[in-house]
Amino acid sequence: MNAAKSFSSRLAGWLPRIVVAPSLLVVIVTVYLFILWTGVISFTSSRFVPVYDFAGLEQYVRLWATPRWHTAVANLFIFSALFLFLSTGIGLLMAILLDQNIRAEGFLRAVYLYPMALSFIVTGTAWKWIMNPGLGIQKVINELGWTSFTFDWITDPNMAIYTVVIAGVWQSSGFAMAIFLAGLRGIDNSVIKAAQIEGAGLPLIYRQIIIPMLRPAMLSVIVLLSYIAIKSFDLVLALTNAGPGSATELPSTFMFSATFRRNQMGVGAASAVMMLMTVAAIIVPYLYSELRERNNG
Amino acid sequence: MSKFLASLVAATMLVPAAARAEGTIEVLHHWVSQSEVDALNVIRKDLESKGFQWKDSAVGGMSGANAQQALRSRLTSGDPPGAMQFLGWEGPQWAEQGVVRDLNDLAEDGGWREALPPQLLTFVTSGDAFIAAPINMHRQNWVWANKKIFDEAGIAVPKTWADLIAAGKKLKEKGITPVAMGDEPWQIGIIFDALLSDLYGPEFYRKVAIDLDPAALNSAEMVKVFDTLREVRGLVDDNFVGRDWAVATGLVINGEAAMQFMGDWAKGEFLAKGLKPNADFYCFATPAKVPTFQYVIDSFGMFTVKDETVQNAQVALAETIMDPAVQKGFNLIKGSIPARTDVSVDDFDDCAKLGFNERAEAIKAGSMLGAMTHGFAAKPEFASVFGDVAAQFFVGNMSSDDAVKMLVEGIDNAR
Repeated sequence: MNAAKSFSSRLAGWLPRIVVAPSLLVVIVTVYLFILWTGVISFTSSRFVPVYDFAGLEQYVRLWATPRWHTAVANLFIFSALFLFLSTGIGLLMAILLDQNIRAEGFLRAVYLYPMALSFIVTGTAWKWIMNPGLGIQKVINELGWTSFTFDWITDPNMAIYTVVIAGVWQSSGFAMAIFLAGLRGIDNSVIKAAQIEGAGLPLIYRQIIIPMLRPAMLSVIVLLSYIAIKSFDLVLALTNAGPGSATELPSTFMFSATFRRNQMGVGAASAVMMLMTVAAIIVPYLYSELRERNNG
Repeated sequence: MSKFLASLVAATMLVPAAARAEGTIEVLHHWVSQSEVDALNVIRKDLESKGFQWKDSAVGGMSGANAQQALRSRLTSGDPPGAMQFLGWEGPQWAEQGVVRDLNDLAEDGGWREALPPQLLTFVTSGDAFIAAPINMHRQNWVWANKKIFDEAGIAVPKTWADLIAAGKKLKEKGITPVAMGDEPWQIGIIFDALLSDLYGPEFYRKVAIDLDPAALNSAEMVKVFDTLREVRGLVDDNFVGRDWAVATGLVINGEAAMQFMGDWAKGEFLAKGLKPNADFYCFATPAKVPTFQYVIDSFGMFTVKDETVQNAQVALAETIMDPAVQKGFNLIKGSIPARTDVSVDDFDDCAKLGFNERAEAIKAGSMLGAMTHGFAAKPEFASVFGDVAAQFFVGNMSSDDAVKMLVEGIDNAR
């Protein structure tokens, strides 16, 4: 009787660990083990198939001597910065406007959120035609009579990356709006009323009270959109296929083509490690500050 | 005996009927479009008439890159398919890894080496081993032209690139887009490859695209190749970004554009509309003193497997692929020409006949060359540098000198 009881209580203690163990094992193998493996490959001379020799930093030197990689890195910063800034800004503005007790709010909210339901492949393909000068916006406006109007960014290697930003922002700002709207609904009305009694105008209330109170929503938006920005592989592939030339190459498309299409597995692995380092450089300080705050509080 | 047992017995009785086949071979390939599947069925039927089963493993997408990925994981897990479609260097590179079956005995008995153009052997042999059976041959350097536009403008089939560019300028003045194409690097690469051999001869092409000779890469001739590419850019409309090759072919068919540089897979688009070669459209090689034949082949390699029934099926499949009758049937549907040079092409269309004859001349004249853009010259890590530079040059404002500099540095970096 006693032994059975201690067994069942021991089991109860072990149960959570037993249940979590398989998924933990799967994550360790499929994520962290392969990160490690990619790191190993990046120090070898692998081309067509993996070989396990030691080539030092050769692949990293080769990577940084490749002009396409420089384009990819520059594009990642241009794209991520503009994408984050515009999606957050437009999302916040739309949320504030929708929060003014307007009619048909539910309908409008669905309209703005709906692009998020599309896959990036669909978004990319649709915008490819919308922004093609011979088919889309430019043609329509020219035919309406404004014949000198040009909008041919998608054909211009210097401007093409901004078309990726446009398509990405179109898709994701509704998502940012939804989160901000939820945040706005969570703000206590009495705070705003108190400010109004004190004589504060609406812009001041938003700037000084409401937007600072949206900080948790802002953090979720930025973290989630950063992920989308870094993994926006499919959007580029569908919209520009990394072209024209290789003007809209991103690190993710570079990594894919080096590893799987160009016999440069080592260079591909090196680029993957560089991407991991970049993400870690942003995420680790963030996690550190968040965890430290929790410990203090 | 229970009902369950009875049905179990009935089920097992069915198995011998299927297993009567001598063996089953799984074939991994990336042909998924209708004409490709129809062409494959020619091989499949012949194989089945010998009593073997064909197990289809089609992995489409990314011009075969997805199928390559599937193969890699299959090989890593020790379960390779019986046969695999090879493009470019894939066959020889897998052979170097020691996983491809040597078909030399079959090749000796069947006289494969004599039946194939010698230039092809680079991609179907590895050392002394014969590693793949080539089924077809496409030519990359074709020009497809709208006959009505050419006739109305009084343009004859151009004999040099200067003629072609002059004709294009004339058409442009008349408001017709001279050249239909997209901005994908491989579409630009088709023109670049053609210019390399057409302007300075097959020997120059060999030095640049195969030997990666530093002196040839960094030469005045190379600058001139880029200059000519820039002139061709002037013949393309500004909406070419994101255009699929088949859409570009459609522009030529509809009379919105005069010509397209494309491999002979474009021919199917014309034929599907009921158009006839030389009556409705022209097909001619990119202009050169010695017409070159830049080939692209599909071949099937067999992997080393333990199962004897699969080994037998591999032999049967290789013999089927190299059977002249099968090559004829397959290529009539696929739009290419047989890899074998001893197959009669009397039943083929005029473009295929022209290609077949020009191939025979090219073999003699030494102007039979592997098409770099499709992976049949330099290895992918180098060929992709050519593709990058040509594409960036084509869509932007880079000078020819800068392009050559970028090319030389890029090739050195990939070595």
